Amino acid sequence: MTTFFQLVVVGISTGSVFAIVGMSLVLVYRATGIVNFAQGVFAVVGGLVTYSLSQHMSLVLAGLLAVLVTAIVATGVAVVAVGIRGRTTHLASLIITVGIAILAEAVLLAAFGEVPRSYSAISDRAWNVGGVLVQPQYAALALVALLAAFGLTLFLRRTIVGQALVASADSPRAAELIGLNLRSIAVIAFALAGALTAVGGVLLAPTVPVSYSSGLTITINGFAAAVFGGLVSIRLALLGGYVLGVVEQLVVGYVDPQYNLIIALVVMLVLIGWRSRGELAV
Amino acid sequence: MTLLELDDVTVRYGEAVAVDGVSLTVAPRERVALIGPNGAGKTSLLNAACGVIRPALGRVRIEADDVTGATPGAIVRRGVSQVPEGRHVFTTLPVEANLLLGAYGRVFRLEIVSSTLRYLRSRRDVRDQLDRIYDLLPKLRELRERPAGRTSGGEQQMVAIGRALMARPRLLAIDELSLGLAPMLVQSLAEFLVRLNEEEGVAILLVDQSASLAFSLCERAYVLETGRVALEGPSKDLVGRAEVRSAYLGGSPGAPS
Repeated sequence: MTTFFQLVVVGISTGSVFAIVGMSLVLVYRATGIVNFAQGVFAVVGGLVTYSLSQHMSLVLAGLLAVLVTAIVATGVAVVAVGIRGRTTHLASLIITVGIAILAEAVLLAAFGEVPRSYSAISDRAWNVGGVLVQPQYAALALVALLAAFGLTLFLRRTIVGQALVASADSPRAAELIGLNLRSIAVIAFALAGALTAVGGVLLAPTVPVSYSSGLTITINGFAAAVFGGLVSIRLALLGGYVLGVVEQLVVGYVDPQYNLIIALVVMLVLIGWRSRGELAV
Repeated sequence: MTLLELDDVTVRYGEAVAVDGVSLTVAPRERVALIGPNGAGKTSLLNAACGVIRPALGRVRIEADDVTGATPGAIVRRGVSQVPEGRHVFTTLPVEANLLLGAYGRVFRLEIVSSTLRYLRSRRDVRDQLDRIYDLLPKLRELRERPAGRTSGGEQQMVAIGRALMARPRLLAIDELSLGLAPMLVQSLAEFLVRLNEEEGVAILLVDQSASLAFSLCERAYVLETGRVALEGPSKDLVGRAEVRSAYLGGSPGAPS
């Protein structure tokens, strides 16, 4: 039983990263209607930049700077994805982000090399909760995911900027007519989502080393979490991330680590199908 | 001085000419109608005036300033707001958020932080304007918490008008006021627009397929056909014209007026 709970704890921690990426995808989708397939790249940029900078400065400062750098990179991705005039179709934007994700791997390989990178966690001690080891790093990831879910929900519902983001995807034509600039809106959404995903990446690297090619797996997991909430629900994306993380760890622990992603995605598919059937029945 | 002036405006979509050298003016506090059949170029002309599309030829002026090719946001800041065809309310947002965004859009520029600060600084003005709109359209106050997508067609038209009015326009351009709405509702919206015009001094440019509504609401009208102005003049003169009667008012050609 201890093994089970240990797997669940690790699962919640990795699941928090999926949730963070998933919520970032939801944010971008709700503001622009674009599914950003380069989202996972931002986690990798966050982790690798933190590693590089930490050779020259304190880890905390390196992490903060990495988040800032990623937000700037995300701004660039936004401009390319939505086009200079903001009139690229959503499908074209999606394909552009796929291209960016592929290109990013090459750029990251050239810039950071192929060795997966890791650095020291917040603390090397772990809490012992009835035989289950809980690392502070896990707790930090879970806390960030929860805070992000809470903050994003409030942001989108209650603030004028959040409402402007939602409005822009809801009716781009009307948003433009009342004076909103769709490209500015896209840039803000991508930058916020990029920064959030980068925080996830910065906190992830000490537990799971990240390399230039980690982006795709992170994107797929984040996407599965986001789809759990129909790409629009922050809360369900959070839940989806946790479910995905825990199922993957259980597969690693009890079945075969080789199949963890595949089995977890099948479970997600079944859950999504079940959830949407439930929705239709209401 | 004219408030809005379209000077020999041509709009093209690739090879197709939607608007072919149309000139149109709206004076301050005036009510002007733009009528014509489907595909006559009414919406294209309105979009050219509001910065949604850039005219291929001709100029757009607001109070004698050339605004040709300006963004929709710049046009809104100059005092011309559009209520789009099909209303396009923000369906998932509450009615009140729809309205507030009208005020936010007016102060929105490229850069979001200063735009938002500008909005927050004008918070009191925005509240006053919101109260005024709730007084003018009390139905919206009742619906303030409801997602705009879950209101009726007529209520959505009120939301769209209210949202445009939040930008404090001097000219309200309305594309298809009556589309899909019950006649009684259209009547009360028309009365509201007249009141808005007379009491608040907001000029109206109304695009509608219903000529009878347009003529009864507006002092002056333009009749557009295949991208050109076929007729223009005071509504009361146009109502009597045989060709207008036959084409738009359901009368037979040559029937006594």
